Amino acid sequence: MHPTELLRQFEEKARAVQTVVRRVSHWREAVRYAVDLTVERGGRTLAPMNLPPEASQSLEDATPIGTVEILRPPLRNHLQDIHTGLTPADWAIAETGTLVLDSTSEDLRIATMLSEVHVAVVPAGRIRADSLELKGEIASLQKNGPRYVAFISGASRTADIERVLTIGVHGPQELHVLILEEDAS
Amino acid sequence: MIRTPGDVKTYRKELREALQNTFLRQTLDNFAAAYRESRAKAFEGMDLESLIAEIASRKDSALPRLDELLAEFKRNAESVGAVIHEAATAQEANEIIARIAREGGVRKVIKSKSMTAEETFLNDHLEREGLQVTETDLGEWIIQLRREGPSHMVMPAIHLSRHQVAELFARVTGEPMDPDDIEKMVKVARRTLRRAYLEADMGVSGANFAIADSGTLGLVTNEGNARLVTTLPRIHVALVGLDKLVPDLETALTILKALPRNATGQAISTYVTWITGAVECAAAPSGRKELHIVFLDNGRRALAKNPVFSQALRCVRCGACANVCPIYRLVGGHNYGHVYIGAIGLILTAFYHGVENARALVLNCLNCQACKAVCPAGIDLPHLIKNATRHVLDREGRRPLKNVLLRTVLKDRKLFHFLLRKAYLAQKPLAGDEPLLRHLPLFFDKAHGFRSLPVVNPRPLRDRWDRVRPDEKAPRMRVALFGGCLVDFVYPEQAESVLPILEKHAVAVDYPMDQTCCGLPALMAAEKETARDVAVQNIRAFEDSGADWILTLCASCGSHLKENYPKLLGDDPAWKERLQAFTGKVIDLSSFLVKVLKIQPEDFRGTGAKTAYHAPCHLCRGLKVVEEPRKLLDIAGFQYVPAPDEDVCCGFGGSYSLEFPEISAELLKRKLDHVEAAGAELLVTDCPGCVLQLRGGMDKRGGRVRVCHIGEAVGEGLKD
Ligand code: SF4
Ligand code: SF4
Repeated sequence: MHPTELLRQFEEKARAVQTVVRRVSHWREAVRYAVDLTVERGGRTLAPMNLPPEASQSLEDATPIGTVEILRPPLRNHLQDIHTGLTPADWAIAETGTLVLDSTSEDLRIATMLSEVHVAVVPAGRIRADSLELKGEIASLQKNGPRYVAFISGASRTADIERVLTIGVHGPQELHVLILEEDAS
Repeated sequence: MIRTPGDVKTYRKELREALQNTFLRQTLDNFAAAYRESRAKAFEGMDLESLIAEIASRKDSALPRLDELLAEFKRNAESVGAVIHEAATAQEANEIIARIAREGGVRKVIKSKSMTAEETFLNDHLEREGLQVTETDLGEWIIQLRREGPSHMVMPAIHLSRHQVAELFARVTGEPMDPDDIEKMVKVARRTLRRAYLEADMGVSGANFAIADSGTLGLVTNEGNARLVTTLPRIHVALVGLDKLVPDLETALTILKALPRNATGQAISTYVTWITGAVECAAAPSGRKELHIVFLDNGRRALAKNPVFSQALRCVRCGACANVCPIYRLVGGHNYGHVYIGAIGLILTAFYHGVENARALVLNCLNCQACKAVCPAGIDLPHLIKNATRHVLDREGRRPLKNVLLRTVLKDRKLFHFLLRKAYLAQKPLAGDEPLLRHLPLFFDKAHGFRSLPVVNPRPLRDRWDRVRPDEKAPRMRVALFGGCLVDFVYPEQAESVLPILEKHAVAVDYPMDQTCCGLPALMAAEKETARDVAVQNIRAFEDSGADWILTLCASCGSHLKENYPKLLGDDPAWKERLQAFTGKVIDLSSFLVKVLKIQPEDFRGTGAKTAYHAPCHLCRGLKVVEEPRKLLDIAGFQYVPAPDEDVCCGFGGSYSLEFPEISAELLKRKLDHVEAAGAELLVTDCPGCVLQLRGGMDKRGGRVRVCHIGEAVGEGLKD
């Protein structure tokens, strides 16, 4: 499939499961987005995990003292107060609007599971048509364990009370995916 | 502990009570409609049939190698820090898990949903050991608080209303709850259960996959609770049925393409988690998770080796076989399973929870094939249910009188037909001159009075044949009619009414006199040997007819001849070719008229009567004939009026309607309600069994819609 077609399909499928999808042209923009979103939602903390160096620098620049507190590992110390988790994702799957995250790091897991809002950043070039296209990559991670790999498609949900779809039961209440279109910058 | 009645009488009483539960019925009705739509949407544009075939073959090739896969899994998982345990029985699994808890100094346990843990009644065991166990899947938590079992494998609390949940939560939290604010209730659960996660020392999960070549567990959830259960506490125990072993990730991903789509109509569940070995865990003294994986046998190895039942282990626990089951839809999961629910539950109960819990349950199946049609693993569920019935009979070493009679009578065609003729004489005083019996003989209880019964015809088709057979001098093709008991002895007019159409198209028709009952009733009563004997008689009876086609007006006979004869005789090489020659010719009336004779509108007067159609289970799912009857109505000039649930069983199910009359009556009532609401003047179908049920019900309710076989309607409309 053509890359723009993949991107379009990913966006469509992800939005179908209430994921907010945006395109960004560099990490700086992604960080800005996460900080603004945190403020907008009335959140006070942001847990960045596994960000590339350039993103960490822009994070310092984007957070004026006193607005949003940046939480540092170990996140076990913050189990109850993570508002936003900001992480990269390793791949995305167009067919189902799914993110794939190697979540072996416990801190990364906590940032993506116990936050109220998860903002994930994935380069456009890492979108694949379907999960089977990634079977080699994921299997080789698994054969090199211990490993914890997560497929995430949308925000946590339940329909256990009278089959009414309700978002945000145990995991994050919102999932935002920022697609990094590096060529655009 | 769950209790399931061991005798039909008590079971029927519970079913009657369940039928009174209007909330449940409404809920399950809405669910059935929504499910059908969302599933269709989820699979749109996909080649579902190939996917099902692929899943079936991948599972089938894994099952004979379970021990090999287990050894491979063990090797790989141990190399990355997991501890593997094997439990032969449910009790053993529970003891192993309790021991792990004891040795780990555990007091509080959190759980994510696991049907396997339900199977072993793990919570009860752990609680008796003094542990505090909290379920974290919202539905499981709700039923845990109510101390009951799940009523659905995917939606365990589907039987409860928002009011019941609100009351429960108010009691548990001491806060008032607004039943209409479901979002708020979910938040209450989120808050309450967060605390449980943080305090727990041990997390217990199940697994959807155990991938041998990397020692990985796969867990599929929507809520995200399994992620927290496997991350926060220092110990993680996964209880996994041996049937969850798959060779590689590719197999797991292939199953994953179907599982969520078929379970909930989602392209994928929100979270799919793959855990390989003991990962980082700051809460554990070593800094690494203490990971235990307990593999449960509890009858699985034996099932895997069983030539008939091994396919039951293909099940991926999507729950769909309950979603589409007309009986489940009426009575809910607590009355349609023991621990496992729905068609697969009827089967597994006999093996995992003992024949005493399965005895009455296995009989409660219409053989309507709806479950089979929807199973993503291609399991022939109704076939296995019949075999499970037999398994129960064999285990108990006794035969109900009904079975003994069936065996003796069906095998001997002359005796059988003699008795059918006798039945006419017995019925005559009750019926007078009416074609229908409105009052039942005393030995029926009044629950059977929901429909009038037809009177056995004084002159069966076989006696009339010489008089009515068309005399075709220069036939363009030859057809042999397979009558079936109902057409031959009750409704010979159905067959007669299509003869003029055949004659018009220069078709020679024969009625081989040695034919007998197709044998389905024997199979339904789990008398396989008798069914086989009868099959042999019928194949022989048709061999000399020289017919190009074996035409039947009975969908049940047709699908039995075509589908079940190979199952009954297929392993016998002596029969292979004769069998193929026979089954290859079997065809239903609508397909024959539309596709073979290619009849045209010019042949018909075209009454334009508003006509509803009931799709017999064994036609639309058994023989997979869906479009032809509707086309036939159109060609013959009827105005087809669609009605809801046309392909849902009418409740006949052969002797089912005698065994569970209340369920049969309710299904019939719904069917007729739909037809009347659609404004039909005429209701047609292509199975004499359905005609019996529908006409009897219409008569009993004093309805004005005429009910007949599609062949009668079409035959009557033929221009002279
Ligand atoms: S055959 Fe029909 S009645 Fe029997 S279990 Fe399947 S869906 Fe239910
Ligand atoms: S038997 Fe088939 S339909 Fe039923 S739960 Fe298992 S996989 Fe799903």
